[in-house]
Amino acid sequence: MSYLLMQSITKTFPGVIANDEVDLSVERGSIHALLGENGAGKSTLMRILYGMYIPDHGRILLNEQEIRIPNPRAAIRLGIGMVHQEFQLVPSLTVAENIALGYEPRRNGLVDRKTQRLQIEEILARFGFSLPLDKPIAELPVGIQQQVEIIKLLFRKAELLILDEPTSVLTPQEVESLFKVLQTLREQGKTIIYITHKLREVKILCETATILRRGKVVGRVKVADASEKELANLMVGEQVIDQVFPRSQGVGQERLTLKEVSALDDRGVPALKNVSFSLRAGEIVGIAGVQGSGQSELVEAISGLRPVKGEIWLNGRRITRASPRRRREIGLAVIPEKRKEQGLNLSTHILENVVSTRYYKPPFSGWLTLFTRPAERFAARVIAEYNVAAPGVKSMVKNLSGGNQQKVIAGREMIDQPEVLIAAYPTRGLDVGAAQFVREAMVKRRDQGGAILLISADLDELFAVSDRLLILYEGRIVAEKRPDETAFEEVGLYMTGHLHAG
Amino acid sequence: MQAEPSQLEPSSPIPSAVEPKTLSLPPLVSSILRSLFTLLIALWMGALVMWVSGKDPLQAYQALLTTSLGSRTAVANSLLAATPILFTAMAAAVAFRAGIFNVGAEGSLYLGGFAAAWVGFTFTDLPAWLIIPLSFLAAGLVGGLWCYFPAVLRSRLQVDELVTTILLNYVAILFTEYLVNGPFLVPGVANAMSPQIAPAARLPRLLPPSQLNASFLLALAAALAMIYLMTRSKLGYEIRMVGDNPQFARWSGIQVAGVIEKVMVIGGILGGLAGAGQVMGVHYRFIAGFSSGLAFTGMTVALLVRNSPVGALLAALLFGMLRSGSATMEIMTDVPRDLIRVLEATIIFFAAIEFGSLVWRRRRER
Repeated sequence: MSYLLMQSITKTFPGVIANDEVDLSVERGSIHALLGENGAGKSTLMRILYGMYIPDHGRILLNEQEIRIPNPRAAIRLGIGMVHQEFQLVPSLTVAENIALGYEPRRNGLVDRKTQRLQIEEILARFGFSLPLDKPIAELPVGIQQQVEIIKLLFRKAELLILDEPTSVLTPQEVESLFKVLQTLREQGKTIIYITHKLREVKILCETATILRRGKVVGRVKVADASEKELANLMVGEQVIDQVFPRSQGVGQERLTLKEVSALDDRGVPALKNVSFSLRAGEIVGIAGVQGSGQSELVEAISGLRPVKGEIWLNGRRITRASPRRRREIGLAVIPEKRKEQGLNLSTHILENVVSTRYYKPPFSGWLTLFTRPAERFAARVIAEYNVAAPGVKSMVKNLSGGNQQKVIAGREMIDQPEVLIAAYPTRGLDVGAAQFVREAMVKRRDQGGAILLISADLDELFAVSDRLLILYEGRIVAEKRPDETAFEEVGLYMTGHLHAG
Repeated sequence: MQAEPSQLEPSSPIPSAVEPKTLSLPPLVSSILRSLFTLLIALWMGALVMWVSGKDPLQAYQALLTTSLGSRTAVANSLLAATPILFTAMAAAVAFRAGIFNVGAEGSLYLGGFAAAWVGFTFTDLPAWLIIPLSFLAAGLVGGLWCYFPAVLRSRLQVDELVTTILLNYVAILFTEYLVNGPFLVPGVANAMSPQIAPAARLPRLLPPSQLNASFLLALAAALAMIYLMTRSKLGYEIRMVGDNPQFARWSGIQVAGVIEKVMVIGGILGGLAGAGQVMGVHYRFIAGFSSGLAFTGMTVALLVRNSPVGALLAALLFGMLRSGSATMEIMTDVPRDLIRVLEATIIFFAAIEFGSLVWRRRRER
């Protein structure tokens, strides 16, 4: 009999059936994949299990007993824990304080720090973790923060752990150590539900998988018996196109040139060190590197949001000290790294989001007044040409799915065919279809003569679309490779500093 | 990605453009409802206070209504009381909408008022058509300049505008007090006040015997201009984008520093004009300490209507009514006029909950 059984779970939101008679069964001590594209209903199902949503109908059985989960606190009491994509940690508190937060052992009404410490250390020892317990969360890399989240669940005595796309924020190295952690947990008898849309991870990690598509279960498989291709077909409902795009047909003149560019990060520590490269018309140059190697600072330096030493040239003009708007006027477009913080104004609608880089010039405005008509037409064009699923130009962007939000940004930045496009993690967190759309748009732009700098954490993507790869390590470009002449392993070694140029 | 102590915020959206909420009103409607609700609570609190102190709230409110709207003169007096509040409410609404907590309009109001008075009692030979615009011009200029300093400190050096403008208010208030006690002291007058302005500089009365004067028309025009600015202009778009998400504005190429400076200077100009209106339309001279927090009343109005420019216009008129009605109500029902302060304080209390969370969020983003 299954450890967890969810039967005919149905959950509707106005206009959408997020879960339609979904069944899920998970064995104790296994890692079960919940597979599906973004919006397939995975997160909804897990939020029901974690008590964040109440299902319209359906039954949940844990250990053959029917349970009700009215809120997350109840879920935790039942031994169910969840690691969200956005971590629920307090940056200024230490690792130990975060782990125990809200569940501190008490003595005489006060927090018993000694017992708390012992309990945490016992868990760490049992599962083979080592964490800097006294460091504030803010100082730790994302991978470690995620481990803190997991320990937090163990501290709360969770038996069933739900992980919502845990690798989407991790570097390849961090992914490896996460896998080790999860395997250890399984050996210790914990049960894990692993939400993902990455097939490779399912193959490596999971015994069984439930595949969701548009709110319905479309398959339940033993992972060992199914090929990646079969899983992919179940997930997207059709054959996934092979990912490699045709390479550049020939490059033109230099569009963007960096000469010995150095910059400091927000803390004043050197983040870019003498970076030089040039980007030519008709090519996509990929920037590979582990997270925090200077990618963010590079994008900001080129966009004009971070002061630099050295020289930056755009379309034959020196723009080292030019304002962001000036740079945009001479041919730069930027898809920023943080979609919701930098790329969009979530408090307003599509129209006001897509005119933000051009509202000040004709036909969008006169010397004082902003005109509505041209903005409406432009927004409608973005929606049409970039397949944004939205009821209209006045739809609030916060109500769009991540993929559609990214299409709004991509449309704003690419629709006028900029000569140079800086795309920072343009497909992060998108489902297969939306990611493919964005990649195709970039390749199309390149074929029309655009120069594109693609910063990505996804090596598959970098290999699929780049004509050249630059590898960034600790703020330096340590290698330049052609994707057809190198391999993941080699690039990985450069990214982690095991290989040096020359 | 940074670790955020975010609450259980949906991280993977629902497969649709439809908002997963059962009840969702258009933002404008919900905004109006919230303002009305706040107002209703305030009136109810006021009634409670009156009831506890043994007065009849219904009778008092009735008196308030008749004395503020009961006759032509009553209406005129309400509009008179609303005049400076119109200016200051717009100043606050524009600044708050950009996420800027400019409290400096009060200082601008004093300095602008004095500048207008100075023009009025110095160039006494000028004709009305010249001296009146000149006085307003001087007031707007001085008021705008006064807010320009903290604006630059804020936009270039990230110095907190809330602190600098609060402190500069004291500088302005005390400096004008010094001016009328020292260099511009009028011999033989007990109170600290400047000489009278020239008769030509006095603003025409609109509905005598009420003191309602032409500065009301200027205030109305300024309010309409601000409504246009906020809803239709390029600068208004920039202000809204900066106010909603300064990072987004910066990445889009909007000059955030410039927008902040403009917003604060606009607030200063409006403050200066408010002061000039009071000097030229009501007092005919500069009197030390004449404002008693008109800029703060303006901020209350802006908070009540959640920075909507149209709402600020309407609410400023309402506040004028309350202010003007309360004086007569005091005489007729012996409910002290401080009751209006209770209403205003209640409104601030409720608005502050929202305002406080906004300030907190803003500080964190910096």
